[in-house]
Parts: sequence; structure tokens; C-alpha cells
Amino acid sequence: MANEITLERFSAIVEAYGASPARWPEAERGAAEAFAASSAEARSLLAAAGALDAALAAVPVEAPSAALAARLMAARPRAIAGAPAARPRSAFRELIDTIWPYGSPALPTGALAASIMLGIAVGSVSEISVLNEGLTAAEETEADDRLISLALADVAWPEEWMQ
Amino acid sequence: MKEASDDELVAAVAKGDGAACGLLMERHLGRTVALARRMMGNQADAEEVAQEVFLRVWTHADRWEPGRAQFSTWLHRVATNLCLDRLRRQRGTVDIDEMPNLVSEEPGPDRRLEADELAARVEAALQQLPERQRAAIALSHYQGLSNTETAEILEVSVEAVESLLSRGRRQLRVLLATEKDELLRSRETSA
Repeated sequence: MANEITLERFSAIVEAYGASPARWPEAERGAAEAFAASSAEARSLLAAAGALDAALAAVPVEAPSAALAARLMAARPRAIAGAPAARPRSAFRELIDTIWPYGSPALPTGALAASIMLGIAVGSVSEISVLNEGLTAAEETEADDRLISLALADVAWPEEWMQ
Repeated sequence: MKEASDDELVAAVAKGDGAACGLLMERHLGRTVALARRMMGNQADAEEVAQEVFLRVWTHADRWEPGRAQFSTWLHRVATNLCLDRLRRQRGTVDIDEMPNLVSEEPGPDRRLEADELAARVEAALQQLPERQRAAIALSHYQGLSNTETAEILEVSVEAVESLLSRGRRQLRVLLATEKDELLRSRETSA
């Protein structure tokens, strides 16, 4: 019979799992219980294992302290106030995200094209001259010199400040 | 929420649901501390391990994949590995004077005292076992996990779990029998 076990196997089960059938491997439990009921040797093995089970049962279990529970509750994840709930993504959105995991390149490309077009349009309809508007040739040269000295002055400033 | 599965509670924890955190602790914190206590041999270390386990739950809750593993098995695995890591680190720094003494003082007449002493002696004997034998006994005998769950947590075969359990129990019998003999001898000499 397939569900019969030998004394050797019964002994191995009791040696490993102890005397309580509840701890025995489920697949062999029925056969082992039947064997125990019919064998004096099996009962002797059970008595020896039962004594160790009783000793193991003497070790107490302390409940977790209230301080531990309080520390864990204090460290728990917090909900972000006002955070919108995640909406389920459509199949189309899933497909787009698969193709462009970092977003579609159409958006930055479109923004660049729009800014170029704006620059061309503004340049073509106005004559923008911030520095030289309404200046004579001599004044223009002087303004350029000032700009150059202003540009070079930033190298000298730190030295002046250190004196 | 009381009827929610562990997977559902973990999902709620990820969203910052305090009640779900409380319920998850109510279900698993006691068992986690108990497992760590069997492994570490003292309550302070056991609570530190349990704290580390639950902080990992809080941190990784948003990445938990329902159905991929049983939450309680995962929790046992994390707790067991943390205990084994700590025990390995402690191994090099154990002071011989701080090792638990299997032979205790003369027991008092009070039965409660005797029960406490028996518990202390068995706990000390458990601490004498090699770490993996102790882990197998803690998971299988004390936590009541099946041999397949214990094998999964310890990453060994079911046969290897049986072997660890048999050797552990045999060693415990030897340790406790030796202690009993020594206790009887000490009583005879003091009488």
C-alpha cells in the first residue's frame, strides 16, 4: 500500500518534527498516525519526542512592547495631503509610454520650432537696437569703448576690493 | 478592513493608511518578535530585529507585488535573514563570560520559579545550537510553518530541513540531559 510507512521513516518524522501529528508532513500524517496506533515501538518514540516538545513549550513568548508599536506607528508611511488619486491608464497611454518611456519627442521639438519662428517674426517686423539707437558715429565709438572697459573691468574688481 | 487580505493591507500601507499599518502590526508583529526571540535569545535584540523588518515593510510597501509571494512567508524570510546576519556579526565579539549558563542556581521551592528556570535553561540550550538548526526549529516547531515554507525561507530542500530539525532536536536532548545530570550532582553535593 502506498500510504504505509516503515518504522525507519516514522522514526525520522518524529525525530525531526516531534510527537505532535499537527507538525508532521501533511502527505505522511495519516499513515504515520495509523502506524503510531499499531506499533509499541512507535509509541515509545513518541514518548521520548513528547518530553522534548514539553521542554520546548516551556520557553515563554513575550508580547511586543508598547514602545516598539509606538515607534513603528510613528515611522509609518504618510499620505501626501491633497495628492490626487492615481487614474487608471488607457491602453493607448500604455502604448505611448512603451514607445517613448521618457515622453514623446514631439513636445520639445514643437517648442523649439515655435521659439525659432517667434524670433524670426519679431526680427522681421522691428529694428531692435538697444545700445546704438540715435547715436552719432563718434558717440557710437565711445559707447563701444565703454562697453569693452565694462566687460574687462570685472577681472580687475576683485583686486580693487582686496586693497 | 479587518477582513482585508495581507496584500490589500500592504497596498493601503503604501498609501499611508494608518489603520492598515496598525492591522498589519496586529497580525504579524507578535509572531515576528517571537521568531526573533527564539533566534536571538533576548527580547531587546528581538524587538530591534522586528523593528527593522517592519521598517522595511513601510519602505517597500509600494513595490509589493500581490500574489508573487505570501506576505507572511516573506516576513519570516526577512526576519530570519536579519537574525542570521546579526548572529554572524556577533559571533566574533561574544564574551565567554556572557554566554548563557546551562547549569542554573539551586531552584527555589516555588513552582513558578521552577517553570521560569526550566524556560531559561531550554532557551539557553537553544542558543547553543548552530544558527541554521536553531532557525529550522524556530520556523518549523515554534512558528508552525510547513516543511516546504521552512525550506523556502532557509533556501534549502525539504530533506535538508528535516536533517537540520533532527540534528537540532538531538543536540537539544544531549544539552538538556547533560544539564539535568549536572543539576542533580550539584544538589547531591549541596545536600
